[in-house]
Amino acid sequence: MKNQKLKMDMASKIAEVIEASSAEFTAQCYKLDQSPPLGSLVKTQDELGEIYGVVYNVETHSLDPGRRVIARGENLESNEDIFKVNPQLARLLSTDFKVMVVGHVQGKSLYHYLPPKPASIHSFVCTCRLEEVRAFTQSLDFLNLLVDVRLSVPVDEVTAACLRYASQAHSDPQGFLVKAGKELACLLGSDTRRLNSLLKRLK
Amino acid sequence: MSLDLTKLVGQIVDLATSLKTLGRERAAKLDFALETIKSSAAEFNRLKQRVETSKTTWLVAGLKETIDLRRAAPTCPDDLIVLASDGSHIDVDRHQSASCFLINIGVAHLQYGRNPDAQLFSFPALYFKDDEMVIASPNGQRIQIEGQLLGVKRSVEECRVLAEQAGELKTDLPLVALLDGSLILWGLIGQAYPDFVVRELLVDCFLKYLNKLKEFSRLRQLAVASYISFPRSTDVVNVIRLAVCPYEPVDCDRNCHDKFGGRECDVVGGLLDRDLFARLLAPGERSAIFSSRSSVVMKYYGAQEINFFYLRLDGEVVRVEIPLWVAEDEKLIGLIHSAILDQCQRGLGYPVALSEAHEQAVVTGADREQFWGLVEQVLVEDKVFLESSAKQQSKRTRWI
Repeated sequence: MKNQKLKMDMASKIAEVIEASSAEFTAQCYKLDQSPPLGSLVKTQDELGEIYGVVYNVETHSLDPGRRVIARGENLESNEDIFKVNPQLARLLSTDFKVMVVGHVQGKSLYHYLPPKPASIHSFVCTCRLEEVRAFTQSLDFLNLLVDVRLSVPVDEVTAACLRYASQAHSDPQGFLVKAGKELACLLGSDTRRLNSLLKRLK
Repeated sequence: MSLDLTKLVGQIVDLATSLKTLGRERAAKLDFALETIKSSAAEFNRLKQRVETSKTTWLVAGLKETIDLRRAAPTCPDDLIVLASDGSHIDVDRHQSASCFLINIGVAHLQYGRNPDAQLFSFPALYFKDDEMVIASPNGQRIQIEGQLLGVKRSVEECRVLAEQAGELKTDLPLVALLDGSLILWGLIGQAYPDFVVRELLVDCFLKYLNKLKEFSRLRQLAVASYISFPRSTDVVNVIRLAVCPYEPVDCDRNCHDKFGGRECDVVGGLLDRDLFARLLAPGERSAIFSSRSSVVMKYYGAQEINFFYLRLDGEVVRVEIPLWVAEDEKLIGLIHSAILDQCQRGLGYPVALSEAHEQAVVTGADREQFWGLVEQVLVEDKVFLESSAKQQSKRTRWI
C-alpha cells in the first residue's frame, strides 16, 4: 500500500538522485535540458518520507568525462537540426541539477530544516505542484538555511529566484514578497548592502 | 626507471631521414604503377586470367572490373538506419586467480530522417565454464581460447550481435549494418589452427551470422559491410606485380625463389593499395569492386565470398569489405557507399555509428583493474580462495 502511494506521488518524476549528502543532492534529468528552473522547489521521496529542496545549479555536460562536446552547427540552420542530424547526442549528454535541501516531511508533519538522513540514491525527483509550494512557503523558516549556505553559485541569486518562483503560488504574490523581504531584513539586518541587493532582485 | 628519451633522440632523427628517402622512392614507384594501370586497361581480360592462373607468394585481388574504374556516390537516403557493433575483451590472465575472459560488445543504432533516434548499449559477457573457454574436436583435442584466438572469437561475437540486432528491427527503412575491421578472419590464418577450430568459429558461427543478415536482406533493403581505416593491404598493388611479371605462367617459387628484393615486380614493392587509390580517386569516389583471393576466403566463405572496394574520404583512403551478395547488387553497393560517406561527414572523418559502438565497447585500463578487483572481491565474499601469482602481487605493490 505504501509503495503504491509512492508510485502515485511520483507520476510527474523528472529526474533521479545520483549523489546525495545531508544538505544537498544532485539529480540527473531523464530528458536533456528538461531541468526545473533555478530557484524552484522540488521534492524527492523514499520510504522515510519526503525531502524538499531548492534548485541552485543546472548543468548540461557530456556523460563521459573523457569526451568533450564540440561545436557541430556551423552548416546547420537551427539548434534543433543539430540533434536531428546527430541523434546520438541526446544519449551522450546529460542535464543534472543540484538541489539544496530546505525541509522534509516525516509522518504528516512538515519541517523547515534538514532531514535525519540524506535523500536515497536513485530516488525519483519531481517538481512540486503549486499547492505544495504554497504549503511549504507558508513558513519562511527555510530562508535561514538558504542565506547562510555557501554554494558554487551566488547564493543571493538562488534565494531571489526561489522567492520569485514561490510568490507565483500565492494568491497575493506581492504580499508574499513583502513578507519575505521582512524576513530577509531580520536575517541580514547587519548587512544592508547585501539586503538591498537581494531585495532589488525580488522585483 | 622510465624510458630514457635522451638516448633515443638521435635514433628518431635517423628514422625521419629514412622516411624522407623512402617517400621519394615511393613517389617514383607510384608514378610507374599508375602508368602500368593505364596501359593494362586494354588487356583487362588477359590480366584477369593471369590473376586466376598465377601462383604467387603474395595475395592478389580478384578482378571484376578495370582497376582504374571510379564511381561517385549516389544520394544517401534521408530515412536510414545505421547499425554498428564493435567489441573489446579482457584476455585470460594466467597471473590471476580466476581463469576467465570477458568480451564486451557495443552497439550503436542510429536512425536518421523523419524520426531521428539513437540507441547505444553494450553486452558484456564473462566466459568461465570449461566448454566456453576451449574449442574441442570430436576426438577430444582441445584448443584454449586466448590471445589471438580470443580476438577471432570477439569478431564472431560482434557479427552475432549485429545479426541479432538487425533481426529485431521492426521498421522497413533501409539498413546499413557495419562492422569495424575485416570480414576476413585473418586471425585464423597462419597460426596452423586445426580445421575443427576454423569450422567452429568461421563456418558454424561467423558465416552463419553473415547468412542470417543475407536472409534479412530478402525482407528489406539491408547491406552489411566492414570498414577498415588506414588499410595496409596490397592486393591491388600485387595485380600490378602480375602485370609487369615477365614470366608465363606466373610462378614465384619456380621463377624468382632466389631473387628476393631483385625481382622484376619489385618496381612496385613497398606500395600500398591506399597509395594507389589516393591518386586514382577524387574525394567521395569509390574504386572498382575486387574479390579477395585469400586462402581462407576461397576455402570456406562460399556464397559469402568477400569483395572489397576502396573509398577516398577527405582525409584518407579506406577499405570497405562486403560479402558477394552485397557486391552483386548495384543498389546495395550504392547504399553502402553513400551511407559510409554520410557517416564519415557526421563523424568528422570516421563513421559515427562505429565510433559510438566503440565507445560502448571499450574496456579501459582502469576498467580492467576494476574488473579483476571485483572478481577477487566476489570470490573472497563467497569464501572461494584461489592462488594468485607472486608476479601479479609485485606489480600491484611497487616498492624500492
